[in-house]
Amino acid sequence: MNARRAQLHLGVGACALSLLMIFWIIPVYVSSPSNVGNVILSPLFWPYTLAGLTGLTGLGLLATRVLLPADDAPLNDPIDDAPQAWLRLVVIAAIMLGAMLLMSRLGMVWTAMLCFAATAFLVRTRHPKAAVVCAIVIPLALYAFFAHVAGVAIPQGEVIRLP
Amino acid sequence: MSFLDSILAGLTVVGNIEAFLALGIGVTIGVIGGAIPGMSATMAVALTLPFTFSMQPITGILLLLGVYKGGIFGGSIPAILIKTPGTPASSATILDGYPMAEKGEAGRALGMALWASCTADVVSNLSLILFAGWLASFALSFGPPEFFTLILFSLTIIAGVSGDSLLKGALSALLGLMLATIGLDLVYGTNRFTFGDPNLMGGLNFIAVLIGLFAIPEVIAMVWHPTAHVGKARSLGKNWVSFADYRRSFRSIIRGSLIGVFLGSIPGIGAAPSAFLSYSEARRRSKYKENFGKGEVEGVAASEAGNNGVAGATLIPLLALGVPGDVITAIIIGAFMIHGLQPGPMMFILNVDIIYGLFIGLIVSSVFLFFIGSVAIKGFKYVADVPRRLLVPGVLVLCIYGVFAVNNNIFDVGVMFAMGWVGYVMMRYQVPAAPFLIAFILGPLLEDNFRQSMLMSGSDPSILLRGPITWFFWTVTVITIVAIIRAGFRATRRKPVADKG
Repeated sequence: MNARRAQLHLGVGACALSLLMIFWIIPVYVSSPSNVGNVILSPLFWPYTLAGLTGLTGLGLLATRVLLPADDAPLNDPIDDAPQAWLRLVVIAAIMLGAMLLMSRLGMVWTAMLCFAATAFLVRTRHPKAAVVCAIVIPLALYAFFAHVAGVAIPQGEVIRLP
Repeated sequence: MSFLDSILAGLTVVGNIEAFLALGIGVTIGVIGGAIPGMSATMAVALTLPFTFSMQPITGILLLLGVYKGGIFGGSIPAILIKTPGTPASSATILDGYPMAEKGEAGRALGMALWASCTADVVSNLSLILFAGWLASFALSFGPPEFFTLILFSLTIIAGVSGDSLLKGALSALLGLMLATIGLDLVYGTNRFTFGDPNLMGGLNFIAVLIGLFAIPEVIAMVWHPTAHVGKARSLGKNWVSFADYRRSFRSIIRGSLIGVFLGSIPGIGAAPSAFLSYSEARRRSKYKENFGKGEVEGVAASEAGNNGVAGATLIPLLALGVPGDVITAIIIGAFMIHGLQPGPMMFILNVDIIYGLFIGLIVSSVFLFFIGSVAIKGFKYVADVPRRLLVPGVLVLCIYGVFAVNNNIFDVGVMFAMGWVGYVMMRYQVPAAPFLIAFILGPLLEDNFRQSMLMSGSDPSILLRGPITWFFWTVTVITIVAIIRAGFRATRRKPVADKG
């Protein structure tokens, strides 16, 4: 993706977001009392203003993209294994989603251990034994600090409870 | 209250072992965090923030300030030894620092970086002490229209100079402002974008948004490209910085410190432009200008003075006006809020002990930085050897604990992950994240001051032009926009010529 294409995506995205906000999200999800006399003081005024400005910025991005160099120089460093990289992104998204779902059932400590190990192996660590040790020690140390020093009620889950 | 009374009040809150211990630990964490390639001072401050929740306000804030100061210096260590700046502000240090390392003078370059950093730090802290109180007493006369125009100016300059394009910066700031509207309306108390979820009624948690924007994208970027190259560390060499080197570079150090103070006190500019400006001024005026870029110790001194000169000065708008000057001070403002403190002119009246306690702590931090920095230079090898592919999962786990600890709410962890993906997309499209975060913090303040102004004037917009202060801020806002647009056009015109050449 070169700079022009990136700016095209951003411009189109900003315009689409603006239209979505103006015609659907703001009218449906922002409530305003019926007795507001002045439009400037309405809870709707600020969101509509910001949505309008976002649309204008999107148009600006589309208009000024012709000023950018037309070469094919990529915006980010190229990567050799793009399909695998995309797959890794899907996996890290799944790890995050899994963490959210598991946290209340397994507890934060066990979830964090699984998260650490899964991420370390996902990025192909060259220190697998150290990764396993860290996956156990770091969440436990953080639990000890937050639960016993800072007094935070770390979720314990339904399986194994820590002191 | 006299100046001496204020100092004594400050001493009563920081005159204890915990405060100085926090400061020392903070500087150590900052130097290590700044020195680890792939971490940054910003990430170090963000990840330290959750650990301050259970501390006394002054202790927690001193810990964060220590991390900030240490992080800015720490960034210069990998810049010199492996040509990888630990923070964006250290980029200018590479220009002469790395050639010195190649010549076997890394120890001399790092020593000068440390001496220049500590000197600039002292100058910057003194400016903070001199100007913050004066600015705060001036700001006491600000009403909602003045604050509205000040915040608008800050956002304009942050959006304009944070990235390579004003429009991308503006888009980032607008998205931040939009996100800040989530929650109950400030005047009528009606729902805005809460989607029926009670978790959203108080708005999005600031810490979740900030950690999501600044730490999680680094985790995702590592997953995308796990084998990103890290350079090989150079040895320190036998030469060490001498007092003669320091004396030779002294003018550049002081000039760089003053440039840092000036640019740092303007919200939004930050340390990187200051370091480059200080470097170019030193090169222009130096007797040894032909050596710049080839390993000139004065070049290292100038760039380090420029970037450290900013560190104390960015706290001037933060403490005096309640407006964060950059991302790190935006995080520090979060620490103030968590401890029930609201930075701004009233803090100089209501919490004078904390203000002067911070001043004392900042002065002491320069001394800590000198000693801890000296040790860190020699211990960098061990820091550089920390495997990044173990560091990144550790960061992820720390983020989960830290964000949860703010409100004991798993929902915030979800917000952090979602913001992480937003931050990653912004990173890929080179949209700066700083305007987003600062707009998110200042958004409610901007809207609140705008609506208060309208209520005061019966919806007459001319109140936003009511006096010299508002005129001043409107003028500098317009000048900033024009200057940024002109600079953008010039850069795009120059590029094709350079490409042809």
